[in-house]
Amino acid sequence: MGLDEQLQAERQRRTADDAVRLAYEDVFTTLSQNGFLSGVLGEAAAFPDFVLPNAEGRLVSLASRLAEGPVVVQFFRGEWCPFCRLMLDALVAALPEIEAAGASLLALTPDMGPWARQAKQNHGATFEVLSDVDYGVGLAAGVVFRIPALYRSRLMRAGIDFAERHGNGSQFLPVPAVFLLDVNGRVAWRFVSVDFTRRAAPDRILGELRRLAAPEQE
Amino acid sequence: MELTQVRYFVALTRLLNFTRAADACNVSQPALTRAIQRLEDELGGPLVYRERNLTQLTELGRAMLPHLEAMLEAADNASALAEARRQQPVASLKIGLGPGVGAAAIAGAVREVASLMPDLMVRFEEAAGAMLVESMLSDMLDCAVLPADCALPERFNHWKLYDEGAVVVMPPQHRLANAESITASDLDGEVLLHGERCGGFVQALRAACDGMFRVRRCDGGIGNMLDLVSAGLGIAILSERMAVPSPLVTCRLAKPPLNREVRLAAIAGRPQGPAVAGFIKLCRAGCGL
Repeated sequence: MGLDEQLQAERQRRTADDAVRLAYEDVFTTLSQNGFLSGVLGEAAAFPDFVLPNAEGRLVSLASRLAEGPVVVQFFRGEWCPFCRLMLDALVAALPEIEAAGASLLALTPDMGPWARQAKQNHGATFEVLSDVDYGVGLAAGVVFRIPALYRSRLMRAGIDFAERHGNGSQFLPVPAVFLLDVNGRVAWRFVSVDFTRRAAPDRILGELRRLAAPEQE
Repeated sequence: MELTQVRYFVALTRLLNFTRAADACNVSQPALTRAIQRLEDELGGPLVYRERNLTQLTELGRAMLPHLEAMLEAADNASALAEARRQQPVASLKIGLGPGVGAAAIAGAVREVASLMPDLMVRFEEAAGAMLVESMLSDMLDCAVLPADCALPERFNHWKLYDEGAVVVMPPQHRLANAESITASDLDGEVLLHGERCGGFVQALRAACDGMFRVRRCDGGIGNMLDLVSAGLGIAILSERMAVPSPLVTCRLAKPPLNREVRLAAIAGRPQGPAVAGFIKLCRAGCGL
């Protein structure tokens, strides 16, 4: 089963509970209606250069990755999110192909080091998982939103403590957008949805990556 | 949410005047007003009251402000660090270390910042909590690593770094040197050296039990006190994270557990250079390391 089908099945399973369905819809509706998507960095925009700590406590620089080839910047919500867990598994499986295409993958989460490490370990990930402390890079990319009240209380009831995971009490999250950056740091392609159960399957990312590496002849 | 919207909002909260905020941000006033409106749409309500001559924050505006300021600072820091990596400016990092707090736990973070900025100058200052607070207020220190029981004024930000326990430090020939762990009663008959830089573990031990040990005051640097431990003058109780030179040995003090929380503190809202911002970010992300 591909990532899209797995996500669909997970969504159906979870939204069978009306309270969960309403909480999910609270996010989708709020972000669809408040103009959120218009603020997300678009294709051809320069992605802001950044340096962030990784799960092992080292600093990782976007520019140093771009010097080696295109970079896939994948925002994710955290290991607490079942849809992110499915996506991380799919990315782990696709990493050899991403690297074979000359690119590297950086996964950014607002979670601090212990949870970033946990995400890496649980999925056996060898790509960098970076802590986007206080959502700085997420804000610069336009992917951060304040968690709507209904969904926030749902997550609290589920025992997810963002104050501890994020190291702040802000209650913001990124949408799980992905940006493919060319070697100049420009957004060559991106996938973004207000529906966090929808992700760009690695096949799509790989397709765009190969197109970037070998553009079709006019 | 867009970076510029947040930037304009933070400027507006400082100037409380749309025209002056627009000037400060180098945009037209209608552009600034539109950006604030869009931010209000996203955050779900008015952030400012717009009255004829008065611009005031609403309750939502006041509640959101510290979070948006922190995000804006984080965005600026992430790109300032990237810029510093390219430019390699001369930078400094002045870190206070509270009583009994060693630099070993944060050395990795300092190394990372130095790997980005090879000309980084580092200075540590060991002192009591109140002294470190004074030094930060007078801009002599950028931040400090302190036990959680050190009082901080309200204008300080602080983040938990880790919990730590205590170890007994002794010479290798000591009768307890090969013990798995040590309890207070094992210390009967011992001389415990302690001073202002030790982190108060001996006082905490005395408060927790009526041990049959003796206490000898030994103020000054911890290195000097450890020389006395080597010479057999007594043993010491220090944080388990303190690096202890060989051939001294350490053994965990299991009972009573003298645990304490250690946190990083810095003054809120003070502009930080990229070295300091990177260091704080690393320490926060590495919490629990």
